[in-house]
Amino acid sequence: MAVRIRLKRMGAHKAPFYRIVVSNSRSPRDGRFIEEIGFYNPVAEPAVVNIDEEKALKWLQDGAQASDTVRNLLSKAGVLKKFHELKQQK
Amino acid sequence: MRCKVFFLDGGGAQVSQENKLEKTNRINLLFDFYEALLTEKQQTFLRYYFLDDFSLGEIASEFAISRQAVYEHIKRAEEMLEAYEEKLGLLRKDEERSELLSRLQQVLEESGMSQIHKETAKQLLRQAEQL
Repeated sequence: MAVRIRLKRMGAHKAPFYRIVVSNSRSPRDGRFIEEIGFYNPVAEPAVVNIDEEKALKWLQDGAQASDTVRNLLSKAGVLKKFHELKQQK
Repeated sequence: MRCKVFFLDGGGAQVSQENKLEKTNRINLLFDFYEALLTEKQQTFLRYYFLDDFSLGEIASEFAISRQAVYEHIKRAEEMLEAYEEKLGLLRKDEERSELLSRLQQVLEESGMSQIHKETAKQLLRQAEQL
């Protein structure tokens, strides 16, 4: 079963806050996720992103697929670049 | 645990990916205001796609319909949200209101009002912000 990294919206009405989570491709919308690896807060000025780099790299190396929005955040954090470098070393 | 914390500022090369993130934010805010005006099916698909970041393919297989059909539903729902916003402007007005309230808060802080009145005024401001 494919493992995905996605943004999950939390937060109150009109105050969005997103967790970056690892979950099974098939797990239901409201269902559990495997691990939380960071968050994204678009309300703050400027928006804040927090990513656990080690965990993110570990999941990517295990073949987890990141969604477009998460790829965006990972590439801004320099995590994708690091992932490709690690891949090339092998 | 090594965490990377940073701030998102505009600019940067990947314009299309950036748009995806911005779009997710905008649609989710519009959804907060106009959710009840969409059909049940539109609400469901938008939740999967924007609140939980599922791909079109994943939603398609979850509901056993074609990827194209999911795309059409979502696109139509987005258009409806934008049409409601154009007519009613609830999100725009809310953003303007928040801005004014935060300025009011600042004026209040700097005013020579008595402490007890200041507390009451701040309380009222907080209530207004949560409306």
